[in-house]
Amino acid sequence: MALKALDIYKLLPKKNCKECGDPTCLTFAMKLAGGKADVDLCPYLDDQAKSVLGATTRPPIRLVRVGVGERFFKIGEETVLYRHEKTFYHPPGIVFRLKDTQTEEEIAAVTRRVRDETFTRVGTDLRFNGVAIENTSGSAEKFAWAVATVEKQQAHLPPVLIAQDPAALAAALVHCGTYRPLLHAAIAENFRDMCALAKRHGCPLVVRAPTLDGLVQLVKDCTAEGVQDLMLDPAPENLGAFIRRSTQIRQLAITRSLPELGYPVYLDATATGLEDAALVLGIVKYASVIVTSPLEAGPAKASLTLRQNIYTDPQKPIQMNPGLYRVGNPGKDAPVLMTVNFSLTFFTLEGYLEASRIPCYMLIVDTEGLSVLTAVAAGKLNETLVRDSLQKFDVGNEVMHRKLIIPGYASPLSGRIEEATGWKVLVGPRDAAEIGEFLHEVWKKQV
Amino acid sequence: MVPEAQFGWTGTIEGVTLGATKAEGGTRCISYRIGGGKNLPFLDRDSSSPSPLIAYELCDYAPLWSPIVRSYCGDLVDSLPEWTKTAETTYKPDLIRLHLNSTRQRNFSDIPGLGKTVETVLSATGLPLIIEGSNEPKIDSEVFQRCGESGQGERLLLGTAEASRYRSIAAAALAYNHSVIAQSPIDVNLAKQLNILLKEIGVPRDHIVIDPYTGALGYGFEYSYSAMERIRFAALKGDTDLAMPIICSAADTLTIKEVREADPAMQDSVAVSWELYTGIAAAAAGAEIICVRHPATIGMLRQAFTSMNANTVRREVE
Ligand code: B12
Ligand code: SF4
Repeated sequence: MALKALDIYKLLPKKNCKECGDPTCLTFAMKLAGGKADVDLCPYLDDQAKSVLGATTRPPIRLVRVGVGERFFKIGEETVLYRHEKTFYHPPGIVFRLKDTQTEEEIAAVTRRVRDETFTRVGTDLRFNGVAIENTSGSAEKFAWAVATVEKQQAHLPPVLIAQDPAALAAALVHCGTYRPLLHAAIAENFRDMCALAKRHGCPLVVRAPTLDGLVQLVKDCTAEGVQDLMLDPAPENLGAFIRRSTQIRQLAITRSLPELGYPVYLDATATGLEDAALVLGIVKYASVIVTSPLEAGPAKASLTLRQNIYTDPQKPIQMNPGLYRVGNPGKDAPVLMTVNFSLTFFTLEGYLEASRIPCYMLIVDTEGLSVLTAVAAGKLNETLVRDSLQKFDVGNEVMHRKLIIPGYASPLSGRIEEATGWKVLVGPRDAAEIGEFLHEVWKKQV
Repeated sequence: MVPEAQFGWTGTIEGVTLGATKAEGGTRCISYRIGGGKNLPFLDRDSSSPSPLIAYELCDYAPLWSPIVRSYCGDLVDSLPEWTKTAETTYKPDLIRLHLNSTRQRNFSDIPGLGKTVETVLSATGLPLIIEGSNEPKIDSEVFQRCGESGQGERLLLGTAEASRYRSIAAAALAYNHSVIAQSPIDVNLAKQLNILLKEIGVPRDHIVIDPYTGALGYGFEYSYSAMERIRFAALKGDTDLAMPIICSAADTLTIKEVREADPAMQDSVAVSWELYTGIAAAAAGAEIICVRHPATIGMLRQAFTSMNANTVRREVE
């Protein structure tokens, strides 16, 4: 059971020496209680306090790192069942599966694709995270060759190595052992050898069993062998089994009912034969590494978008900094278009403005990340905000005219904005897709 | 033994009946009962909550419908009876959702024609129907009255009631024993308030389906997803004013940028992915009716739901 902050405080040295990075022992205790700090940060804890605290204050789901370098990713350390209770922190790594029976060209092409492909949405670069290489051939040499082929591309992607045979893994680790690959998987029959490999190369290890009892047993076995960075593969035989096991693991982990289940979940989306559905469920129902075949354009974008949506902090929509932004090279008589700081709104409008090829200014006002309609409905977008923003960002000095284009959906505010700012308000179209036409026809007549 | 995850739910999702067979006083060849869940979606082993239903959306005025659907279905979309028949026999949804979008034309006034349209669709298919009436408060009352009457005995699901306009639709539902879709903008409290309003004018709880409003994937879907989870959570915790089944229609999906601007050769596949990903995620959050517009999405959704509802291996092997 979790300890309360005060109970933890009683076990601390009470020196208030700040060496843990916190101003007082009490604030450190509060962080520990929330799973937000590590006991090791306090150098003065005695061993007994350490062991009591270590078991109960570590995050309910262990943080695991996969890969090294720029593309490494972190998973785990989640605290809730529902994203609206707080947020989900670490989006699942989606990795493309390769088989060691594929040709060199195929392997190289997929690796380069994962290295290079980026899909930019609302100002964020979305990417797939790595490649999984599967020992389909059964031959250790073939497997090592495939892994070497991946590494030859210099993609520096986090690798996932899938093989039942520890000898095959050992051969492959010769080529990528220092890059923290994820090893898949330890089962009852091979866990000792798997643990030995994971320890030798310092890499995370997946344990695989089709029942939670089996997973718990393997976690006990592997931690006893000294491997701490584990992941759980519940080996679901269908999608229902995945939802049930994954939910149960998450619930038992975050309530600290069963510390052996406090590890991130691994999902092979290819196993159920319904890859799209498995990807979706992996993303929404707590998977942290998802293995899939290389995806076509539709599923590729849909899965990255869904992951971005689900892992956005519900309290903070993705926002832009308020300010005056330039599109192209606007001069003193260029139009000024006002909009909100919800990034989806910003990038939608910006896209159409760029397409119109008319240089202009975008005045982004702080609606705390709400869209135009939502901000109007909530009263967050109002004439005072527009007036203050015009002043704060010194728009009057950037342009000679005094004309402000507002979104069509903000038209109820047009009169009040004119009064409060002294600027002439032009109500633009509702749909940003029509902004080009509006600028060419209405704005051009204004100047 | 690892214990089951304990949630301590006390509530049950209300059952709502859609469609009426001959034996039930209608003419449908099948009727459904949704709701009944006592746990998070897909967690029950005893299968007390059935798989979500898939509704295919079509309309009575194709010029205002997505060009993607037209290019996939061809001229079919200009003949509502043919479109409906093909939907039932070829696309194979569980339900048909008819949008009377002809009412969106300027100065629309052919109310009697709407009654005929509903009758045409009823005779073109044996599946239960969802009817989306007008979007215009001025003609709401006549439109819903007419639709309700034309579908008398068929246990239609009528849409869409909102906080600012729910009386006419509720009146039609009460008069002809249909159910109502209650839509509120992505907020658990607003959903609850609307259900209370409906209750106060006499709409029984087992005649209400909640529509929490679905923003397209990438365009507000995360809010809808969480609203669905919160509604289901509140219901299971015992709030009977929120314990109704949820309907999800990501109606903007075919018009968002990613779909509209997709490489023409890939456009169908992108559209289907977008509907599919939204539908599966919504079902996982608690939606029990998933509406789609692209015919090719239906089969993929069904396969997913079958696998999500497959309770144990043992059951499959039996
Ligand atoms: C997601 C969403 C939310 C999210 C907020 C998301 C966010 N970050 O803003 C949440 C759930 C928090 C929310 C809350 C509310 N919402 Co809301 N929400 C939506 C939803 C589904 C999508 C909004 C969105 O993301 N749009 C996409 C962006 C890109 O649109 P946009 O900012 O308007 O930009 C477009 C145009 O305005 C134009 N444009 C933008 N800038 C400019 C500038 C110029 C110069 C020009 C010319 C054009 C232009 O270009 C863009 C693309 O065309 C809409 C329904 C809908 N389909 O619009 C309802 C909607 C906006 N919400 C509504 C309401 C009522 C509310 C609430 C008041 C109710 C409630 N639930 O409590 C609250 C208020 C917020 C608060 N107090 O916190 C209503 C508004 C009704 C009205 N007509 O006023 C809507 C329309 C839903 C409905 N049908 O009832 N909402
Ligand atoms: S390092 Fe230890 S003793 Fe010093 S303030 Fe932090 S908790 Fe207290």
